[in-house]
Amino acid sequence: MQWLAIHLPELPLEVHSRGIDPAIPLAVSGRRERRRILHCNGAARRRGVTPGLRVEAARALAADLRIRPRSSIAEGRALQRLACWAGQFSSRVSLAPPFALVLEAGGSLRLFKGEGALLGAVREGLDALGYRGRLCLAPTPGAALLLAGWEGTPMRVSADDLHRQVGALPVAALGLDKQHRALLDDMGVRCIDELLRLPRGGVVQRLGVELGRRLEQILGRVPDPRPAFTPPPRFSSRLELPAEVETLDGILFAARRLLGELAGFLALRQTGARRLEWRLGHQDVPATRFDLRLVSPARDPGQLFGLLRERLERLDLPAPVREIILRVRQMEPLVGRPMPLFVRHEAGIREEEARLLERLCSRLGETRIKGLCSIADHRPERGWAYCDPRWQGDHGVSRAGRPCWLLAEPRPMKLRRGWLTFEGERECIEAGWWDGEPVKRDYFVVSTPRGERLWIFRETGGDGRWFLHGFF
Amino acid sequence: MTPDLSISKEDRLGRLLRAHPGVWRARESAVDGYSLLASGVAGLDELLGGGWPRSGVVDLLSDGVNSINLVLPAVAALSRAGRRILWVAPPHVPYAPALAGQGLDLSRQWVIPAADEGDLLWSVEQGLRSGVCGAVLAWPGRLETAVLRRFQLAARKGRALAFMFRARRWRATAAPVALRLEARWDAGAMTVEVVKRQGGWPSGPHRIAG
Repeated sequence: MQWLAIHLPELPLEVHSRGIDPAIPLAVSGRRERRRILHCNGAARRRGVTPGLRVEAARALAADLRIRPRSSIAEGRALQRLACWAGQFSSRVSLAPPFALVLEAGGSLRLFKGEGALLGAVREGLDALGYRGRLCLAPTPGAALLLAGWEGTPMRVSADDLHRQVGALPVAALGLDKQHRALLDDMGVRCIDELLRLPRGGVVQRLGVELGRRLEQILGRVPDPRPAFTPPPRFSSRLELPAEVETLDGILFAARRLLGELAGFLALRQTGARRLEWRLGHQDVPATRFDLRLVSPARDPGQLFGLLRERLERLDLPAPVREIILRVRQMEPLVGRPMPLFVRHEAGIREEEARLLERLCSRLGETRIKGLCSIADHRPERGWAYCDPRWQGDHGVSRAGRPCWLLAEPRPMKLRRGWLTFEGERECIEAGWWDGEPVKRDYFVVSTPRGERLWIFRETGGDGRWFLHGFF
Repeated sequence: MTPDLSISKEDRLGRLLRAHPGVWRARESAVDGYSLLASGVAGLDELLGGGWPRSGVVDLLSDGVNSINLVLPAVAALSRAGRRILWVAPPHVPYAPALAGQGLDLSRQWVIPAADEGDLLWSVEQGLRSGVCGAVLAWPGRLETAVLRRFQLAARKGRALAFMFRARRWRATAAPVALRLEARWDAGAMTVEVVKRQGGWPSGPHRIAG
């Protein structure tokens, strides 16, 4: 069995930085000792800010430096969302707080046809979410986590090589407490290999049962059961932006991170989203909210991103954006959906058609695009209707001798003698007495001297006024 | 073998040329190679050199709303072949029972009953580019040269026909389009004139029966 560990050394920084332009200098300071910088991004580093620096000194180096206090709550949530996302790679994901995840990788190795391809896909996905992770594939979850957490270790470790690679790590990699570190230091134990050479009884006696068992688990000598992460039933993700974002590109940059998370979540459940709820938070004014509806369930981040862009292009934001929240309001299974090629005339509209419809609806509004049907009602104005553009059923029948254009309202007209030529017979249309909107009219087809043909009527037994009702 | 002297030299040459599929004849130019879409309107195919182009912008200038009849048979064929037809801002209600009577598959029609100028241009381009629509029918006013050029590109990309129904006063404006026609009603008959055709020459006014 192979395990893939994802270690996120910069998580405290990345929960703040991943939504904003990397050119904005950003740092995270400690919660208790707020006076010092814990992490900073590349833009801050380029101005001389380094971890360990006092906050005042950092501000003196870079006046526009944004400093956020570290938030372990945000980090925990981020790790959970990452676990959701990682569900697309493995059906068994475990959290390894504070900064890591570990997943059983056997299935996905088969799916991706090789370790290189899987590692590449995970790395790419993390990158799209705005995280930088160190990855390690190893025969046990403990070893994968241990090796991923330490700089300069190989990305892939085989069972034969496990003992040597783990042994070469310094004991500091085990993250022991101060007292045990001092103890090992006194004993002259520098690396894990030296620790493993000590008699086991002595290690357990001096350093505790816990460490002894952990070492055995790392080496795969005893089982290492880990609780599997259960994803929440609904997707909801929030991205706080430490720098106010005003531009469309800035908002899209941040939103892309959330759509990446969503894609992983949906992939895990074999579902697609039908309705996305977006909420853009501002400083002093109420949040901007809108829904994106999809004609058919979708999870492709590119498709969702395109829809979002179109909506945002038409949106007037009252203020800069401080946070973005994405929730899925409706999900539907994707499995069992017929391939577009085979559904030309059968139920359901084709995928590309659905996409065009979505694009049109997202800019024009849900109700502005219509399908067309004819209705078996003799009253001309009742003989047709706009219908749902997705409607695939019977669209009605044809009727001979009708004009291709119908005026929405019959238009009163004066009939000048000799101007119009009457063609064919009068057609009497009498209908609707049963529903209180009766129609009793004599229709005629007439042509103008130029040759245009019109459809006109006069109320039967009425006052003799003429109305224009259509053009042929 | 003695040549058939009952046929003039020009006719014989004409026959030879017509028989050869590789000979390009400007008057009968086909915009997309040899593939044309039969218009289904008596007399119109001859004028168009065989039919409508398969893709591109057709600028149809006319006063009045009857010019729709020039395109309905072709639109019907496209819809029956399973392609979408998008109607953007038509001047009146496209009357479903009559359209069905003309052979249009109603289930393939999408209508945007009203759109401001920006929405209209955007929707037309989306429809053309999507590859879903066989034809986009729209009733715009002014179309800038750059917009027409974009439509033409989008139509080519999506293998769609863009029928732009516009007033005759736009006749003299630039036309980076596959085809510009002017339709007029005159003494009880419709005449159609090819104002501009890509890779071909204009024609004189031509009476269309019907």
